[in-house]
Amino acid sequence: MKTMKKYLLILLLALLALTLGACAGGRRVVATGWSEITLKEDVAYFSYGPQVYALNIKNGTQKWLFPVETETGVDFFAAPVFADNGTQLIIASYNSNLYSIDPTNGRENWSFTAAENRYVAAPLVIDQGIFAPSSDNKLYAIDLNGMPLWEPFETEDPIWASPAWSESCGCIYLASMDHFLYAINPETGSQVWKSEDLGGPIVSRPAVSDSGLIIVSTFNNEVIALDEVKHTIEWRFNTTDWAWASPVIDGEQVYASDLSGTFYALELATGDLIWQLQPGGGIVSAPLVQDDLIYFSTDASSLVVVSKDGVVQRNLPMEGKLYASPASAGETLLLAPSEAEYYLIALNQNGTQIWGYPPAE
Amino acid sequence: MWDTFITLMITVMLYIYNLVGQNFGWAIIIFTVLVRIVTYPLTARQMKSSKAMQELQNSKKWADIQKKYKNDKEALAQKQMEIYKEMGISPFGSCLPLLIQFPVIIGLYQAIIRTLAVTPIQLVNLSKHISNGATLIPINSQFWWMELSEPERFPIMGVAVPILAILVVITSYIQTKMITPPTQGAGDGGQGAQMTKMMSLYMPFFMGYLALTFASGLGLYFVATNLATIAQYVLTGQADFKNILPKLPSRSMG
Repeated sequence: MKTMKKYLLILLLALLALTLGACAGGRRVVATGWSEITLKEDVAYFSYGPQVYALNIKNGTQKWLFPVETETGVDFFAAPVFADNGTQLIIASYNSNLYSIDPTNGRENWSFTAAENRYVAAPLVIDQGIFAPSSDNKLYAIDLNGMPLWEPFETEDPIWASPAWSESCGCIYLASMDHFLYAINPETGSQVWKSEDLGGPIVSRPAVSDSGLIIVSTFNNEVIALDEVKHTIEWRFNTTDWAWASPVIDGEQVYASDLSGTFYALELATGDLIWQLQPGGGIVSAPLVQDDLIYFSTDASSLVVVSKDGVVQRNLPMEGKLYASPASAGETLLLAPSEAEYYLIALNQNGTQIWGYPPAE
Repeated sequence: MWDTFITLMITVMLYIYNLVGQNFGWAIIIFTVLVRIVTYPLTARQMKSSKAMQELQNSKKWADIQKKYKNDKEALAQKQMEIYKEMGISPFGSCLPLLIQFPVIIGLYQAIIRTLAVTPIQLVNLSKHISNGATLIPINSQFWWMELSEPERFPIMGVAVPILAILVVITSYIQTKMITPPTQGAGDGGQGAQMTKMMSLYMPFFMGYLALTFASGLGLYFVATNLATIAQYVLTGQADFKNILPKLPSRSMG
């Protein structure tokens, strides 16, 4: 009886350790975020867990990995971004570092280590420099050599949204989880203006229209349009759940979505609903608009193709969860699923898989 | 079913979090104490069973059968079962309530980790558990010197000291010693004594290891639950402080 109790105790301890371990994730490749796909010429660049990948779009062969050997505590889930006329690839990491690597071979040029928490979003690269938002509540501005341009711009809460550049304003729009949208001068880091409290955290890049509207999605179940000049709210549209994904402006329409899986087409000028559909699964990434079609992915493992008048053309089931936006390279569509056998898959126009990476063993 | 349970825990946790001025550390502590109060009937039953077992193991009858059947383990086990039956004691009486509390511990840990949601996928998953909690996001996970979503270290003269893990080991040790009275066989190297010794030595270090490597929110929960258990034993007059200090070997030659 006592031996039995002893075994029971050991079993319980082992079970407890296993269960807690499973919850915590450990350092294996467990997706805690997702990366958008960056395309340049015939190469696709994306981050997934402990490494960043450069793959040939035609056949999925690997050009390089960064870092070559995985390191404990180093994870990447932000999209790689080109800088310096395409000669540098800027990669933000969960280990609070920002790396510049050579896009031809994946070798490190420099790293910027001032942040105190993980980078979730990709940096914005413009002529004035590299602007990297961090979970330590700060926006870091650095030059092409990895040197700081100005003191970090600080908000009240973590910043998970990539900043947006506005040509007409000549400023950077930064959305924070502290509910505010900030307009920042990229030369000095000073605040140009700040919105009123938008009611909920914002975790995606704002969209800026030629007509001077800034559109943001908020966790307060809203899509909000602000006027660039007057700095006032022009319209609000109620969604049914948290609006996570970046809105996309397409002519006179805005495409937005929420975590309930509802996809909306709105009038850009007024915020009026044109059409909506709910194919199932939460939507966290911006749609891809190409020719006359809209492609968006859902975490219920499907790629949905819709015409611009709201008619579903295809609903392709996929393996894994699709958090990241689809990317298009000519005739090839690329998807980066999470919790799937492949980290990146290429589809042809019919939705048939051309290749998957890593290749099956 | 499990998801509903976790959702309930997250909802209560966020309610407390909001109530205490959006401080997640205090939310964990208060929630832990509440869980201990709710599960008190199970704890009381466990305490009662332990006490009955202790009394039985210290009785002459028990000592007699140990002596009589010391070379026949099968017969000894059979006799022990007869005595358990005769005295209405279930040998699993102290284990069963622990087993029932096990999912509560796991649920509480999952609720803590899921609520902290420091990465995008964690936040997407959290959104499925909370309907109107968007205004509470992001959760303030700073508590004193701790970042509750990360393993805790406190810098002392340039050395990162795991204060919380040390506290977990100390409070787990005190709690284990306090609630595990010495059995009659403690000195003779019997199975019961070995089991007790193993529990009181390994368990605190095992808990300390978990606190060292996992999110400090879990370590905070361990400390809070240990202190709550100690308080329960003290308040019900069942704490035995004599057990906390290691016993020196007896000098008497008897």
